Amino acid sequence: MTEKIHLRTPAKLYDGKWMDAELVLGDETLAIGNKRIPVKEVEDIDNVEIENVSAIKIKKDGEIIIKPPEKLHAQVFRFLSFNLKADRFAVYFLARATSGGVVSAGVQWEKGYFSVTEEGLWFLSPKKQERIPLENMGSVEKDVRNVGGQQRMVLVLSHVEKGSVLTSLIMCPETTLEMVNNYLQRLIKSHKPEIELTEEEKEILTLIYSGLDSVSIENFIGVSTEDLNAYYDRIVEAGLANVVKIRKEIELTPSGISMVDKVK
Amino acid sequence: MPKVLIVDDTAFMRKLMKNILFGAGFDVAGEAENGKMAVEMYQQIKPDIVTMDVVMPEMTGIDALKNIKSIDGNAKVVMCTAIGQEKIVKTAIKLGAKGYIIKPFQAPKVIEEIKKVLAM
Repeated sequence: MTEKIHLRTPAKLYDGKWMDAELVLGDETLAIGNKRIPVKEVEDIDNVEIENVSAIKIKKDGEIIIKPPEKLHAQVFRFLSFNLKADRFAVYFLARATSGGVVSAGVQWEKGYFSVTEEGLWFLSPKKQERIPLENMGSVEKDVRNVGGQQRMVLVLSHVEKGSVLTSLIMCPETTLEMVNNYLQRLIKSHKPEIELTEEEKEILTLIYSGLDSVSIENFIGVSTEDLNAYYDRIVEAGLANVVKIRKEIELTPSGISMVDKVK
Repeated sequence: MPKVLIVDDTAFMRKLMKNILFGAGFDVAGEAENGKMAVEMYQQIKPDIVTMDVVMPEMTGIDALKNIKSIDGNAKVVMCTAIGQEKIVKTAIKLGAKGYIIKPFQAPKVIEEIKKVLAM
């Protein structure tokens, strides 16, 4: 039987540079250039920006970056997100219910799917395909919330995006809710860094989060630059932070000193 | 320079809040480590604004808020709550809290909220 083709369009494929290629999206296969990917084996996707071009990153035995025409981007993204190799649960969801503790304006409960891939969690509906990378997940807990005037048990997912804490809610029959809760608890635990922080290290994490710079942190907790660097190394090695800037300490050369001498 | 009273049972959190507010030009007029102390200090120093932790020994932030509001109906109290304490936030707002800050704090958000409440 011939495969049903949803889309056949000129597109671009990134392989170190952008190349023209035909994109064919079928029921079972996505083909671009000479690459053929079984749709059901796509492990995850994400919207990315490569060389200032908005594109779709497809994860299947490595990464494939494609750029459908602008007007077809959402259609391709939606099709792939609904067909990911994932565990999928039929739920009602409220994605990004709060941001930084503030109730988000305009978000509504939607009927759709909650999908779990190897690297991310997805809220899927015809209108919305929201992805939460697993490393951005904070916690999951059950809570009772007022939904449409009724007290309902929901799952509250806390996640981080661009430094802000967001919460999203999931509602479904209680047996499914219990199963999803246990599943997510195990998943989050398996992705948590295996490190036991000391009280001082926890304080340093809090200070970094609050926006203090390194000099302020040294003064705040009373440690030397060397000691703070040692703490930073451990925090970075544990995958809890990234290095964004390396401090420089310099000393003046004789020419530099002579310049200072001229400053009146 | 607006006077601030910081209320939190953890010395580390008080120090962090003080650091953030001092850096933004506020006058940190006092620090209290529980709700009972906060009510007493409020009467003494009459701050322009209070940052009030919710979970504290002796007297909770919610009870301290009630007491302060009964002393001064115009008191400006900003509650400091941990993530997932939305219910407490609602209770506090009903009791007259003027704003809330989510712990752990981020300096710009703290300053923004305090300035908003003080209409600066």
